[in-house]
Amino acid sequence: MSEVQLQNITKSFGAMTVIPNLNLTVPDGSFTVLVGPSGCGKSTLLRIISGLEMPSSGDVLIGGQDVTLEEPSKRGISMVFQSYALYPHMTVAQNIDFGLRLARMPAAEREARVAEAARILALEDYLDRKPGQLSGGQRQRVAIGRSIVRHPKVFLFDEPLSNLDAALRTQMRVELAQLHQSLDATMIYVTHDQVEAMTLADQIVVMNAGRIEQVGAPMELYDRPQTEFVAGFIGSPKMNLLPGSAIGQEEVKTVGIRPEHIAVTGEGGDWPAVAQVVETLGADTVVYAKAERIGDVTVRLPGNIRLKAGERLSLTPERANLHLFGHDGRRMEVVQ
Amino acid sequence: MTIAAAKRRLPVSERLRRSLSNGRVTAALVLLPPALILFSLFVMLPLGESAYYSFFNWNGYGTPTEFVGLENFERIAGHSIFHTAVGNTLKIVAVSLFLQMPLALLLALLIHRKTPTNAVFRLIFFLPYILAEVAAGLIWSFVFDGNYGITASIAGFFGAESFFILADREWAFAAVMTVIVWKYFGFHMMIYIAALQSVPEDQIEAARIEGARRLQIVRYVQIPHIKPAIVVSAFFAIIGALQVFDVIIPLTNGGPSNQTHTIVTYLYTFGLTRLNIGFGSAVGVILFIAAITVALFYQRIFMRGKQA
Repeated sequence: MSEVQLQNITKSFGAMTVIPNLNLTVPDGSFTVLVGPSGCGKSTLLRIISGLEMPSSGDVLIGGQDVTLEEPSKRGISMVFQSYALYPHMTVAQNIDFGLRLARMPAAEREARVAEAARILALEDYLDRKPGQLSGGQRQRVAIGRSIVRHPKVFLFDEPLSNLDAALRTQMRVELAQLHQSLDATMIYVTHDQVEAMTLADQIVVMNAGRIEQVGAPMELYDRPQTEFVAGFIGSPKMNLLPGSAIGQEEVKTVGIRPEHIAVTGEGGDWPAVAQVVETLGADTVVYAKAERIGDVTVRLPGNIRLKAGERLSLTPERANLHLFGHDGRRMEVVQ
Repeated sequence: MTIAAAKRRLPVSERLRRSLSNGRVTAALVLLPPALILFSLFVMLPLGESAYYSFFNWNGYGTPTEFVGLENFERIAGHSIFHTAVGNTLKIVAVSLFLQMPLALLLALLIHRKTPTNAVFRLIFFLPYILAEVAAGLIWSFVFDGNYGITASIAGFFGAESFFILADREWAFAAVMTVIVWKYFGFHMMIYIAALQSVPEDQIEAARIEGARRLQIVRYVQIPHIKPAIVVSAFFAIIGALQVFDVIIPLTNGGPSNQTHTIVTYLYTFGLTRLNIGFGSAVGVILFIAAITVALFYQRIFMRGKQA
């Protein structure tokens, strides 16, 4: 049982409140991703869970136990840092079993745990090397190995993939997902990359300015964003957020429509437009168009569609897939 | 055939022509002389001269004529005060390495974080180093004064008999070493503070999560990280110990009974003030060889890993 509960958490630095009264439950065994733009308080929240930062008020419960005042090492957590935080003077093996040595675990058990972690992370051949002799991806694996051997109840990840190149990031993403399946542990993962959030999470927490905008499964957030912020943040290419006048509803502040929910017709569509830029991605073609009286509209089309910049288009949004947001930025439940 | 091998086989004239045409020789001809001339004039020449004088019995006036071979060195080797001076210099090395550096490290660990209070402490601890050596020596000679000094007041407070520590054959050098530690620990502390501030915070946080206590973080994370700074500071400590001079002159002037000389004050007292320039030069040569030996050891042992 390793559910994480945050109750009425507030965090202030001096006069500035970065997290005002936040409540969140991370279910046991879930892969929860905290996502949001830089400075939204997601890393601070992770540090509060880890114990590296104390909340100004509120309680942190791990596995039902109040650990608000506990030392980080007594919380049954482990953390993987953005910079990996490996010790450059220690070998990979020493880095991995550092915590076990501190806990005075018998050598035989230590070795067994290091060997197991090395096997899971394919690090067997590198145990005697120093971190300086490893690639970024290997270092990341060592940092994860250091987490695994302690058998924590909760794994914390602070933007662990942001220092890797795009190809390696995709690979490590898959490895992390596999790791979660095999360990069946609770994982809390911070990122500003919504693609990572969508691909890894079974629960996404979208944060903005210290507040939680929405909590839910990835497709729930994608299909029914509760706020305009979530609508714009989740999904790539981004959802089109247009004025209500685009669909003739002046009481609606913003109407959202995902790029794949706009059809391109030759004539007679709702929005006459001109293609500005056409990106051919292979499986998809993404068209950035300028629509009359509406503004910029992004459209995602099948890869076999051939369009050129400057071409005149006629765009028609799928009525069933419109998202309407009121002046408070929240979703309006409208019967079509 | 490799490119390097092909180059070696070229005739000298061809190699010279190529070097001239690519500007490397011109650059060397233009850039090398200023440094070379200054270094020769102000370092190599005096050293060579000193080595030359060390073979003469010469009082510094006129040209040295009385060649005595290695006699100056023999006299030094047999001089008990020189032995004391070398012993004292070694004591300073030991105190610098095993008392001053640990003290500096301890203080650096306590005040390396950037806070206003720490900045004040840093300044206070660094002040002795900024102070001129002669001034520091004088201040401490007042402190140690058996009639009016602070030590006299302390002794008086406890009802003990006043004592003149700088005139005590047994304890005078301990007092001198106290002043040396006080004078220079701030310098080493600053080196450590700079190094400690560069230890990545997340490594310390990772250690905390792994369950490391404060002392374990110091031992396993911070000290290994600042090892290069500790090595540099040790090098400065040893070289500095070989050069101690201006603190001693106002404190004890080498006394009582020549018990507190270092190699440099010995050189000054028995070479310069007694107008035995040849003898003094011989001491200088010995000191130079000692310093060079330390530098070479440093290069060999500690710089080895960095060349790779």
